[in-house]
Parts: sequence; structure tokens; C-alpha cells
Amino acid sequence: MYWRYCLKRIIYGLVTFIILIFIFSALFNTTMEKTLRSQIEEEIRAETLKMDTKMTPEEITHFIAERRAFKQHLYHLDKPIWSRIIWRAIDVLSLNFGKATIMKSSAGETDVWAIIAECLPRTILLFTTAIGINIILGLLLGLKKAQKAGGFVDKITSIGTMVVYGMPSWWLGMLVIMFFSYKLRLFPSGSLHSIPPPSGLAYYIDLLYHMALPVLTLVVIGFWGSSYLIRNIVLGILQEDYIMATRTRGIPERKVLYGHAMRTAAPPIVTMALLSLLASVGGNIIFEGIFSWPGLGNLYWISIEQNDVPVLMGNLFITTALYMAGLVILDLVYGFLDPRIKVGGRR
Amino acid sequence: MRWPDIKEGFRNFWIEFKNIKFGLFGLFLLFIFILIVIINPYLVPFPDASSRWRDITYWEDNPVSAPPLWINWFSSVKRASSSIISEYTLTEEKKGNLTLNKMIFEYEFFYDRPPIDIIFHSYVVGSPVIILSMERPDGKIITLTKRVISKITGEDIRISIGNDSRTESYNFGMKYENPEQNRIERELIKPTRILFAEAEEGILVNPSFLKGIYKIMVDIVLPSSNDQVSESSLFISGGVSGWLGTDSAKRDIWSGIAAGVKWALLIGLLTAFTSVSIGVIYGVVSAYLGGWQDSLMQRIFEIFVGVPLLPVLIVMSAIFRPNIWTLIIMMSCFFWVGPVKTVRSMGLQIKEETYIEAAKAFGASSSRIIFKHMIPLLIPYSFASMALYVPSAIVYEASISLLGLGDATIVTWGQILHDALRGGAVINGLWWWVIPPGLFIALMGMTFAFIGFAMDKILHPKLRTR
Repeated sequence: MYWRYCLKRIIYGLVTFIILIFIFSALFNTTMEKTLRSQIEEEIRAETLKMDTKMTPEEITHFIAERRAFKQHLYHLDKPIWSRIIWRAIDVLSLNFGKATIMKSSAGETDVWAIIAECLPRTILLFTTAIGINIILGLLLGLKKAQKAGGFVDKITSIGTMVVYGMPSWWLGMLVIMFFSYKLRLFPSGSLHSIPPPSGLAYYIDLLYHMALPVLTLVVIGFWGSSYLIRNIVLGILQEDYIMATRTRGIPERKVLYGHAMRTAAPPIVTMALLSLLASVGGNIIFEGIFSWPGLGNLYWISIEQNDVPVLMGNLFITTALYMAGLVILDLVYGFLDPRIKVGGRR
Repeated sequence: MRWPDIKEGFRNFWIEFKNIKFGLFGLFLLFIFILIVIINPYLVPFPDASSRWRDITYWEDNPVSAPPLWINWFSSVKRASSSIISEYTLTEEKKGNLTLNKMIFEYEFFYDRPPIDIIFHSYVVGSPVIILSMERPDGKIITLTKRVISKITGEDIRISIGNDSRTESYNFGMKYENPEQNRIERELIKPTRILFAEAEEGILVNPSFLKGIYKIMVDIVLPSSNDQVSESSLFISGGVSGWLGTDSAKRDIWSGIAAGVKWALLIGLLTAFTSVSIGVIYGVVSAYLGGWQDSLMQRIFEIFVGVPLLPVLIVMSAIFRPNIWTLIIMMSCFFWVGPVKTVRSMGLQIKEETYIEAAKAFGASSSRIIFKHMIPLLIPYSFASMALYVPSAIVYEASISLLGLGDATIVTWGQILHDALRGGAVINGLWWWVIPPGLFIALMGMTFAFIGFAMDKILHPKLRTR
């Protein structure tokens, strides 16, 4: 049963993703074609410069026109607009993002996919670490809050949640850098590792040292919200009749909380963790630019600053793919943890 | 649902709301923000900040990157603060066709650091000659600069002592300085640091400042009777300026922030209102129609859910360069998915109520049932989620502006932060440029979070206590 559910969910996810890619292609078609055309012109100019100089001007014009027609045909630029949009979407779906106009990967490749593939693991590393710490802290605090709901700790931390509710993480990042990196000079102000990067074990220590500040910022912003949500989830469960029943049976409070309430609370809490990871992909990417953490978010900054449209687009497609994948995994995990969903299908 | 019922509902809601302290505090903060928008011109020294934020001539008198004036209260070294002296004594003297005007401005200097610059402003018609000189507390008189103006028909003229009296103040300093020991190039001096210094050795390199009342005298020679000089004032460009200091482009940050309040409120409220309205209607319609229409609407909804919001908004802003209104529309296009799921499940419940059945039996149309009988029940929920959407809309706009993709015709907090990041405020520790805009974003977010969470607490009484 679960496998059928999985398959269904994955197919849904794929279909949605394909539709989204088509929408993006239609939306950004003009801009991307403009870049593509200028790239073609650039290539042709480079080719003519290498050519035999004995050609007559007519021959050169003819050659240019021929090359242009060939290249435009290659990139389907001579087709009607709807077919161009479809071609673009298919290109993207086969991970063929084209070439960057200015930017290069650290190995010097101009392939957009290479540039993005380099950044992806760094983003995942930063945000999973931060959210892992976040959830652990949120769990500890959230359980405390739920146990003594309406108490002093609960009230104070709930107000804390509301205080940081609209606080941009990148702004806190700016403050933290200003204070810890430039005033106290305790931590590096950004980037992945020192230059030149140390080797062996020292590399990982150096990486952690560079990660400390961004992770700290994300945790300080995030754990209020997660503890508040966990409180609400656990509190809702603690009011169920079966918890009352276990209490009347004389089972110790610790066991009620960790053994009985937590079992039921697990699916929504896992969902929450995954959702906040997703929210990071969707909402915290600006943050990377502040710390010059060379991940996907920073890539947005650089590609906008250098006006590198192919990289920007490729980045958007990858982010969307990640986001979609996250949503699918979320449902799968939820279905796995919550037996009710497995049986009855989605709805 | 009839109007009196709604009124009654609101009254009950308000009675409950009154008991939640942080909710009331949120309302109070909101009231203050609205007050700032209304009385903005009386609150800020530069009321045109909103429309002339990128106009460098509007800000040219201010000092560059000056800290806020209240840091004098905490610092042992008091810096001169920025101010305008518009009071002066005027003596007039006629000599044939010529009129000699003499204005005397008094500047009380009781600080440890002199002002950065002193700027004389006046509205001039004709071709007068303006001579600026200064009488120091020790009785020494220095002629600062002379400006001959030829035939202008009414224009604001600006004489900056810091720029125009370089030679004079250098010569004044050289009279007392020991040239063998302390040589300094003329280009490197700061005129006000000499003019406000004790006349002794070291005046050029290591001055100690002379406190007291300085008289800045402006002699104006008006060659004909049609010529006139009016609306004169003296702008002291101090080492500290305004409630929140200035940025590296000499802009007064408090004026910018106060101007940003209205944009933040507009962006937040309008986006939240449109998107929640769309979302609620979509959810209810989907729940009410049911069947294949419901499935189709849910599929469309799922496509929108799969959109990573901020990246898409960033790319769209980078490519289409929206102004503030199109940005609000763009945000609403993606924000509406938020309430749909909850509203749909609530709608499915309401749909089964007997009074809906009764309305159907009476032959009420679908739109009547949806708008008259179902949506009113969801109004409290809508307001609560609207309040909670306001902060995210503001943060998203700020994020887009931070990347430099915002609407360049207005001033928002995100744009101030973008300038701060570009202007090296973080590296140089110009905290008064970095902290306030973000703090206001956070405060605005907090305001609506307080209101929204308070509403949420009323709607879900189960979560209050055990």
C-alpha cells in the first residue's frame, strides 16, 4: 500500500515540476533568448577572427550569415515561439542549462551545471546543520513549554517567538558580522575556508570555524519558532483522552511525555523540520550572500550583480527542483510515520 | 449571516482580545507606526526624504557618516552637533547706490570636537558681493572667504567654509605654527579644525579647541537697490547629526526610516489583504464546488505550492525590474496559497451544516451561499492570517531591495540596508546605518506578530493552557 502511495506522490511531484518548468520557460523566454543570441554573435565573431584573411567581404558576410543560421537552428531560434518554449523546457529538464556569460566555476568551467553543482553541497551543509541544531534546541525548549503551558518560561519564550517573527535573518547576520568579525575579531567574516585552505583534519576544523557564525545566526533566529510550534503540537496531544488515561493509570509523567505523547508528535515534528529546511531553500538564501558562503544563495547575488542570465536561470531551476523534491520527501516521510495516511491513500 | 451578527461577533472578539496583553501592545505599536506616517513632516528634519532620497543636492549640507547626536551623552569626547542657525542681527548702511548689510550669526561652541563644516545659505537676487569672516572668542578676526555673484535672478547660493576658506585658515594657522617642526600640506588641512583651535603652536597638527561664542559675520554689498539677499541661514554640519546619524551619502537616516514606514505598511497590508482574500475565496469555492472542479483547483494549487517563493521573486525582479505596485502584485500571486488548505478543510465542514442545506433548498445561488453564508464565518481566521502575512511580505520586499532590485523611486528599509551593505557600513562599523532599518523591519514584524498571535490564541483556545 505504502509503495503505491509513494509512486503516486512521486509521479504527482514530477508532473508538477514539469509544468512549473514550462511556466518558467514561457515567462523568461525573451530574456533567455536575448542572452543566447548575443552569445551566438560572440561565437561567430570569434570564428571570423580566426578565419583566413584572404576572403572577400562578400564571402565573409555570407559566411557569417551561414554560421548564424546554423547556430540559430542548433538552438531552435528559428522555430515559432511555442516550439522554442517547449525546446527550452526540455533542455532544462535534461539539465542542459547552457553556458554562463561571465561566471566560472572554481575549476574554470563555464558550464552552468558545473557552477551550480559546486555550490549545491555547501548550501545543504550549512542549512541542514543549522536546522539540526535548531530542532534539538526547539525540542528541548518546546517540551518544557508544553509541560508548563502558560507558565513563566512559556510566556517569555512565546514573546521571544513573536519578537523574532519578522526579523530578517540576513539583517541579524549583518549585525553579527559587524560585532563578532570586525569589532571583536573572533570569527571570520565569511567564505567557506581560509585561503589557502589547510589540508587534512585542519580543513574540517577550519570549515567549522567558518560555519560557526552563520549557523549561530540561523539558530538564534530559528529556534524560537520551532520551539513554539513543537509546544503547540505537543500541547494539542497532551489534551487527548488517551494521555489522560495513561496518567490515571499512574504512569510517570516523563514516560507519558516521551513515550506516549512524543510517538504521536513525531510525524508533525518531522514535517516541521523538513518544512523549515524547505523554507530555508525558499526564503533564507539571501542570507548566504551576507556571509559570502559560496552556496546557491550567494550564486543568486553574484549572478544578479554580474547580470549572468543563464546562471540565474539554472539556479532557479535547481532551486525549484530541490524544493519540489523536498515537498515529495516530506509527504513520503509523513506517510511512513503516520499509518493513517498509508492506508487511505492521500485523501 | 446578517450585519448585526457580524457586529456582535466583532464585539465578542474585541472583549476577548482586550484580555491579551501582547495583543494590545501590538495594537499600540501599530498605532505608533500610523502616527509616524501621519505626522511625518513634523517628526523629521528632512520632510522631503521620501521623494528626494536619491537627490544629492538635497543632502549636501549634512556631514558624511556622522553618528547620531545622542552618542554625545555616552561618550567622553563631545562632538559638535548639526544644527541650523537662522537667527542673526542685521545692520544696514547706505552709501549712495550701495547698500552694506552686515549679518552676525552667533555660534556657541562648547564641544570637544569642532563641526565638520559651516555652510552659509541665502536667497539672492542681483549681483551682490558676500564676504564671510569670523570673530573668535579670543578676539581674533579672520576673513574667511569672498564671493562675487554676477546677475542672478533669484537663486539659493551656498558658501561652504570648509571648501572655500582653505587658504585663509591655512594662513591663519601658519602664523602660530612652528614651520620647522610641524609642516603640513595645504591640501591636507581641515579648515574648521584650525578655525576652532587655540592660537598656539601645534594648531595645524594637534589642535586643542577653543570653547566660547564664535561670531560669523557676513558682509553683503548690494550694488543696486533691486538687489536683495534674504532667507539667510547658517548650517552647522557637525560631527554628530540627527537622531540616527547620516550615511555615507550624507542622508539623514531617521528621515529615511520615517519615510519607509508608510511603504512598509503599504506593502505589508496590501499584499496580505489581497493574497489572503484570494486564498480564502479560492479555498471556499474549491470546498463548496467539490467533485472534479475541486480536484482541478487543488492540482493548480499544488503547482503554486511547488514554487520556491523568494528565488522566483528574485529572478522575476531581476528580469522585469518591477516598481512597487507590480512587486505587490507579484507577491500576492504567490502568497495566496498559504491559507487555502486550512480554509478548504474549514469550508468542507461548513458546507455540511444544515443552514447551508436550507439555503440551497430555498434556491440560493452558489455565489450567494459562498459569499453570504460561508465566507463570513471565515473572517476571523482571515484576519488572523492576514496579520501574520504582513511581516513576511515586508521581509520579502526588503530581501529583494537588499539585492538592489527594489523600486528606485521610493525609499524602503531594505534599500537603506542595501546602501549600507554597499557603502561598507558593516566593515567600518557604522552601526547607526545598519541597526535601525533592520530593527524597524523587526519591530513592524513584531507588531503584526503580536496582533496575529493574539487573534490566533482566541481562535484556538485549546492551546492556551493545559
